[in-house]
Amino acid sequence: MTGGYITGGWGFVWAAYGWTALVLTVYAVSLFVRLRKVR
Amino acid sequence: MLPNERFPKLPYALLALGVLCLLAGSYLGLFVAPPEHFMGQVQRIMYVHVPTAWNDMLAFTFAFFSAVIFLFKSDFKWDARMEAAIEVGILFAFLLCCQGAIWAKPTWGVWWDWDPRLTTTAVLLFAFAGILALRRFVDDPVKRGVWSAVATIIAYVDVPIVYFSVRWWNSLHQVQSSPSTVSSQFYLPLRLNAFGVLFLMTAFIMLRARIASRRLASELVPPPADLAGELA
Repeated sequence: MTGGYITGGWGFVWAAYGWTALVLTVYAVSLFVRLRKVR
Repeated sequence: MLPNERFPKLPYALLALGVLCLLAGSYLGLFVAPPEHFMGQVQRIMYVHVPTAWNDMLAFTFAFFSAVIFLFKSDFKWDARMEAAIEVGILFAFLLCCQGAIWAKPTWGVWWDWDPRLTTTAVLLFAFAGILALRRFVDDPVKRGVWSAVATIIAYVDVPIVYFSVRWWNSLHQVQSSPSTVSSQFYLPLRLNAFGVLFLMTAFIMLRARIASRRLASELVPPPADLAGELA
């Protein structure tokens, strides 16, 4: 951080978006698997 | 009336619509919107963090209304919906804490701080996780439904506390913005992602409620006539 402005930070941005996409995808897959089991 | 599947294709359509909105919103948020004046590129996390927060509140609100309706009507359809909304709410609360930590490190210098907003959100996550755990330990569907509905109503008290925590107490977390205080360049990706997460959340709750409904249907089925005679 320099003078109140945060420089860089793309790594954190990609981490947040990547982790969100991963968690949502894994949960969606788990739903389909569980739905097949109870069918 | 179990299971409730009047619109079998609707959750899949909502999933597709949600993914499309999220792709468009994230593209705008990552590559088109300008960096924010003080937070720079890191502010782009807002386009996914804020929609997750809004929809998390919405999921728990749906769980709350499902709990109230179940207690009044004793219709297990609402018990299944409550279970589904709680699980999706926990998922979003977990995501919210992860995104918040990733945002906090470059802006506050720490991954986590016990400030009012973060603490009340963590309480929310663990309170509803506890309710889901409680449901696993109770075999009787009636007791399970009533106990978890009461617990959901009690735990829901924390939702408005989470929302107003940044106004009531001195918090590191910034207060809520409104459309009048946000530039239109920031507003469009935020709105697109908000609808994307809303569609995903609705699809997840519908699909998860189907799983709960089918399990409940097998639990609530009356015993065979010969077994019923023996029990009598």
